[in-house]
Amino acid sequence: MGVVEVRARIRSSSRNSGVLPLLPFFIFTGYFLLWPVLAVTIRSFKGNNNEWTLGNYRPILHTGPYLHAFITSLKLSLITGLIGSLLGAFFAYVIVKYAHGKFGAVIDSISAVFANSGGVPLAFMFVAAFGTEGIVTKLLKDFGWDIYAGHFTIFSFTGVVMVYSFFQVPLMVLVFKPAIAGLRKEWEEASINLGANSFTYWRRVGIPILIPSFVGAFFLLFAGGFSAYATARALTVGTVPLVPIIIGTLVDGNVVSDQTNLGDALAVGMIVVATIVMAGYIWAQRRAAKWRS
Amino acid sequence: MKRISLKWPLIISSSALAILIFVVPLYGATVYSFKGAAGKGHSWANYQWLVHQDGFYPALLTSLKLAVLAALFNLFLMVPTMVYLNLKGRKFKSIVDFLCILPLIIPVVSLAIGAQVAMPKFLQNTEYELVFFFVIIALPYTYRALDTSLQTVQLKTLVEASRSLGASWSTTIIRVIVPAIRSGITGAVFLTFALSIGEYTITSLLHWETFPTWTVVAGQQNILGAIAISVFSFVSAIALLTVIALFSKKGVERVEVDE
Repeated sequence: MGVVEVRARIRSSSRNSGVLPLLPFFIFTGYFLLWPVLAVTIRSFKGNNNEWTLGNYRPILHTGPYLHAFITSLKLSLITGLIGSLLGAFFAYVIVKYAHGKFGAVIDSISAVFANSGGVPLAFMFVAAFGTEGIVTKLLKDFGWDIYAGHFTIFSFTGVVMVYSFFQVPLMVLVFKPAIAGLRKEWEEASINLGANSFTYWRRVGIPILIPSFVGAFFLLFAGGFSAYATARALTVGTVPLVPIIIGTLVDGNVVSDQTNLGDALAVGMIVVATIVMAGYIWAQRRAAKWRS
Repeated sequence: MKRISLKWPLIISSSALAILIFVVPLYGATVYSFKGAAGKGHSWANYQWLVHQDGFYPALLTSLKLAVLAALFNLFLMVPTMVYLNLKGRKFKSIVDFLCILPLIIPVVSLAIGAQVAMPKFLQNTEYELVFFFVIIALPYTYRALDTSLQTVQLKTLVEASRSLGASWSTTIIRVIVPAIRSGITGAVFLTFALSIGEYTITSLLHWETFPTWTVVAGQQNILGAIAISVFSFVSAIALLTVIALFSKKGVERVEVDE
């Protein structure tokens, strides 16, 4: 190898291990991701006359519609997170155990599709199925069960829970399947050899190993349910007070608040909740990773 | 010890549950979308109504245009970034990884409000601002798709072989790396496209009209039409994402065979 060539190589490698080629990426994410978040955070501490204040946060921390919205949003994420993670874990177990080969691959891609199905179309589809004139509603009526006899409507909190489950359950299947598939056959054999029955194996070995992954996946579902906007917006048009929807109505000017920057404070409040939840997710992931080595 | 097999009870109960949660609503919506005039009989009327509605084509075109641009922009930004990251920029990997996960953590509503505060007027006056935010929203998925496929190929070996045979960096990327990670690129492109075309939150909060926001407005006049649109978009999304799944599976197999 000639000296010139070596030099050229050294020069090119030292030039190339710098940050320069990543600049477009850093500039892009800095400007379109970090800067908006920073800007909304700063403005949430500004009053109507551009003075510094904590006033925008006051309505969230005191009893009233905004605190109520946060509680409703948290309740919705908790319930759909639990339904999603429990049912999803059950499906994931059955799929890992009994769906192999081509059939397993088909189920994989169906889960991926359904997990990403949240949005406007999903809301309208549930209205078509479970609305007052819905196909399923009528079908059940023919069988003698009027689901609208009580308090139920598809436009209510319960309705939103039903629609969210449609994408939360498959999301759980996607996220949790690898954890179940990672349970080693030897662990079960070892416990059985040591005299455990299947139930004891699950209680003392299987479930304790899976708990961190399960909790992590639950946090992920929780965060997704907490920030979801389109589905609930199209379904309820504001009848169920959720934080994202309230922010939307403030932005659209449908609700007038005497505090111009209240929406910013709500947006920052959502970021704070989401950050806490994701910190939980990362913590659980680290715990779960212990077994994967 | 005799063990009771749970196989069939488990399969039957999970299938029943899956039918209840997924098949029933899908079935209900599909049947509803074919309802004829005044709710009698079956017809394509609702789908035809949709196509003749004011704003259908412009909204669809806007969505298609923005989605294509977002997919392209994503490609030009992320392919070189990810290649460099896996080749020489390893020390930056954790920070890029973190930035790409952020869009999952930051609620899209908050990002939209932030965009209103932070973006300059000239950008807020054009619908093309959405392209940038679609790319941001797609980042977590793009990152994973590209990273996974980059890790399955022997990137260093490929680059060294190509460089020592005298190829320039641009030739190496275009003629060697891109074909090797085709599955990841296809996945990233289709995912960005699919996410962009269905994006509602940022679009509606920034007051632009694309296909999803148009659907909501149209749905307020004619619920049957809105349901027809929904079934149509849902089925298209399923078709699109199934194509992605098949493509990326095939891609992975192909790379393995090549080795």
